[in-house]
Amino acid sequence: MSTKGTKIPDRLQIPFAGITPAPSQEKGQDLFPTGNWRSIRPVYRDKLPPCNNACGTNEKIQGYLDLVKRGKYLDAYALIKEDMPFPSVTGRVCYHPCEQACNRGKYDEAISIRAVERFLGDLGQALTRDVVTAGKPNGKKVAVVGSGPAGHSAAYQLARLGYQVTILEKSPKAGGLNRGGIPDWVLPQDVLDREIERLVELGITIKTSVEVGKDVSWDDLKKDYDAVVLAVGLTEPNSVRAEGENKEGVFYGLPFLRDVGMGASKVKLGARVAVVGGGNTAIDCAREALRQGAIEVTMITVESNAAEMPASPEDLHDMLEEGVELQHGYAVTEVLGNGRVEALQLHPARFSGAINASPINVDREAKPERFHVDNVIIAVGQRAAIGWLPNEFKTERGTIKIDRFGRLGNTNFFAAGDIVQVGSGQPLMVVNAVGDGKRVAFNLDKVMRGESLEPRTIPVDVIFDLNRMNMTYFPHFPRVQQEMLPPNSRRKTQQEVIQPFSEEQAVEEANRCFSCGTCNACDNCYLVCPEPCIARPARSNGLYKILVDYCKGCRVCIEECPTGCLEGVPELDFDTGVVRMDTAFAISPGLHGRQAEELKKLGERAAKNI
Amino acid sequence: MATVSAAKKKTVRINGCVAAAQAAKYADVDVIAAYPIRPYTATMMALAQMVANGELDAEYIVADSEHSQLSISHGASSSGARVFTGSSGVGVQFAYELYSPISGSRMPVQMMIADRTLDPPGDFGSEHTDALSTRDMGWLMGWSCDAQEAFDNHLMAYRIGEDPRVLLPQMVCQDGFFVSHITGDVELPDSGQVKEFLPPYKHPYPLDPRHPVSHGPQIMPEQGPPLQLERARAMEDSMAVIEEVHDEFAKIFGRRYDPWVEEFMTDDAEVVFFLQGAHGVTARFAIQHMREKGLKVGLVRLRTIRPYPTDRVKEVLSKFKVVGVIETNMGLGSVSSGGVLYGEVCAALYESDRRPLVLSFMAGMGGEAIVLKEFYWMTEKMMEVQKRGKIEKRTHWVGFED
Repeated sequence: MSTKGTKIPDRLQIPFAGITPAPSQEKGQDLFPTGNWRSIRPVYRDKLPPCNNACGTNEKIQGYLDLVKRGKYLDAYALIKEDMPFPSVTGRVCYHPCEQACNRGKYDEAISIRAVERFLGDLGQALTRDVVTAGKPNGKKVAVVGSGPAGHSAAYQLARLGYQVTILEKSPKAGGLNRGGIPDWVLPQDVLDREIERLVELGITIKTSVEVGKDVSWDDLKKDYDAVVLAVGLTEPNSVRAEGENKEGVFYGLPFLRDVGMGASKVKLGARVAVVGGGNTAIDCAREALRQGAIEVTMITVESNAAEMPASPEDLHDMLEEGVELQHGYAVTEVLGNGRVEALQLHPARFSGAINASPINVDREAKPERFHVDNVIIAVGQRAAIGWLPNEFKTERGTIKIDRFGRLGNTNFFAAGDIVQVGSGQPLMVVNAVGDGKRVAFNLDKVMRGESLEPRTIPVDVIFDLNRMNMTYFPHFPRVQQEMLPPNSRRKTQQEVIQPFSEEQAVEEANRCFSCGTCNACDNCYLVCPEPCIARPARSNGLYKILVDYCKGCRVCIEECPTGCLEGVPELDFDTGVVRMDTAFAISPGLHGRQAEELKKLGERAAKNI
Repeated sequence: MATVSAAKKKTVRINGCVAAAQAAKYADVDVIAAYPIRPYTATMMALAQMVANGELDAEYIVADSEHSQLSISHGASSSGARVFTGSSGVGVQFAYELYSPISGSRMPVQMMIADRTLDPPGDFGSEHTDALSTRDMGWLMGWSCDAQEAFDNHLMAYRIGEDPRVLLPQMVCQDGFFVSHITGDVELPDSGQVKEFLPPYKHPYPLDPRHPVSHGPQIMPEQGPPLQLERARAMEDSMAVIEEVHDEFAKIFGRRYDPWVEEFMTDDAEVVFFLQGAHGVTARFAIQHMREKGLKVGLVRLRTIRPYPTDRVKEVLSKFKVVGVIETNMGLGSVSSGGVLYGEVCAALYESDRRPLVLSFMAGMGGEAIVLKEFYWMTEKMMEVQKRGKIEKRTHWVGFED
């Protein structure tokens, strides 16, 4: 008898003839899961779309575009508001790194994200009550110094977290760079006013005309508040270090814009105006100069061509349309005139090394140019005014010294915005300051709650490669363009140059979004699965799940997923020979990640009695 | 599906095919999977008539091939039905893929085989190679030598195969023509006797939507050996069940068979024939004639080849001086370069301390009858060997040598 004395070890005890309860039944997967047919199983794993990744404050751009597609504008607005206090502002002023990163840009044209954001921001402006409410008061007081983008963002997030926030603003009107650095024809004052009102609605106290170092000291801040966010920005204009710079008729970029913006300007410009500088502020100054009465405006840049200018190409284009001239490759070496500027002395100049990041070489041997002007606006950057800050927190570059969490040493002081970002290599943009303010607010909250600050450890999978999606599902479709005022008429008015999207335009543009790497409830997996393996309680993002009991691993859903949200995970770990049964629902930061807990418990539910 | 209503015991004159059909009827089968091929076709013909005239309430499915026949049988058995199917010759071969899955999933399908020589060329005559080629696929297997034994074997095979200790499919074989088409008296039992003998089929885990289970799942390599071991265990455990069932059959129906071998005139025999199936009938006559002449010859007829009764064969054959294996099958290039039975016999005897000399006779090939004078010839050959005390020629092609 060959089988006499044979024993089957416990781990290999097999049901009779391998007949097992159905996979859906109790213990049905213990030994012979249907899943063993598979070599891979489909898993919903949301990636980070490149737009969200590029955004300075990581707005959930794909998320709100998807909601706009479905007509859920209020939900879309609420989703932006998680990361961005004032979409109506950034919907106008943002240099939209998201659109530069947009995968659609590699395919036909990037999504006009900023225009959709503005559409939603304006919708939020019209609400009598905002969707955002203040958090349950935690009894802690925080001062936010500065009401520009970073301060605004930090104050907003802190109020949502339950802090009693006081904003201290040096100027008579709150808004900081949003008010003083951005012309009305880009961002009308009333739009910003409405956003400031929203802060007050959140219970935030705004004290204007209060200057730190003059009205309030470092020690006062330390004494009166549990924590402080310093978002003081860069307020002092850089000089071009030319002789005669103090002559009458010479203005500096940011104060020029600020005075116009605050309505405090007594400036009267002559017919010929030169703007010195090649950045975005210089462009705004040149265009504002036209609106303040100048007839001929010339921009004088060290950069030797337009492409080198550290400016938004769109804004540059719009400026040239309005008739501003460019004079490349020169530096101002002297402001000429008898008490009042009459002309500029220009010498050929170029950067000694990298463009915009190295000292300027001026060729003083060359014959100087005499450039006749009535006024000069110098816009070559700003610097901080932080004389009141204890020296231990100052850097050599004249900025605030912080750790990577935005914190000043072991204090409860944090700093955010341009004041810490200048010279960091990051472009100075409103949206980056907003993101900075947001992150610092969350870090401050952690410190207040006694939690440790840890750097993020979850790897982020940004989906850059179109091959990870199924492009056959996306026909080419042109970008919806925002209408603009005609150049000839707009150069003389303070009216907004760029016109808003209509509802139809916003939806049409949102519809172009690929939803890169993220489930958008397209239902494709549900429809193409040859077995009834894909279940969803409703057609909604993140609610799709794979019934692994029945999935044969045919890959059809994975191949046919337009967005690349579905991916195949090897069933067998070939290194260990272990069958993985726990990978059905990957924990990831996306929509499915949010569902994971619920989905993981599916197996514990009682089997259906058929 | 109780349809054999209160039939009284009676004797009828029918052939082996009809006897098999009658057995299926008495077993009250639920599903019949049919596909015609001579010579077993007459069985399905008889069953078709029974279903048509209401004698038997069963699903009669005409398949489109033997492969489908066995697939249908597999599925039907999985759902808990008692299944009857059958085939002959190349038909048996065409269904080959299904034999292991059916036994591996432990489905007690019953298949009637009326042997037919394999092609080429087309030959309707009986040769056991068709069924024997599947002998190691996990099916219980044995040969009948007449219609009555065929009837009885079919009933017993259901009882054995469906026993929860066994749960294996069964091939109930009979020689084409010599059994399938020769009529003889067959005692059909009282339906009450059958009811007492053969309880309704009940698979422990049938496919049933109310109690879902998975049959035939894909497994990991390490899960294969335990399943094979359990199938081997079932085959071995069936031996005790086979003996029990033969006892009980004798008690209820009054016909007693040795489940493993029939011995005929072996008491003082020195040379014996060893064979399966219908030629045993001719052999008995030949032996009687030779006994009258004083030759000490006898017959050992193997009734069950799977499971193979190794120890019993050893014990029985060790009593003799010479064994002549009548193959009736092809084992081209096999141990004896004749048929496959020789190897089975020799292997059983290897551990015996009184090993007889063993000859292999290629007789009854292609469905030829083995006539009396051929038995005499083979007896002479065996006696020569006995006298000489050793084998000079292991295998003889009977009818082709002097």
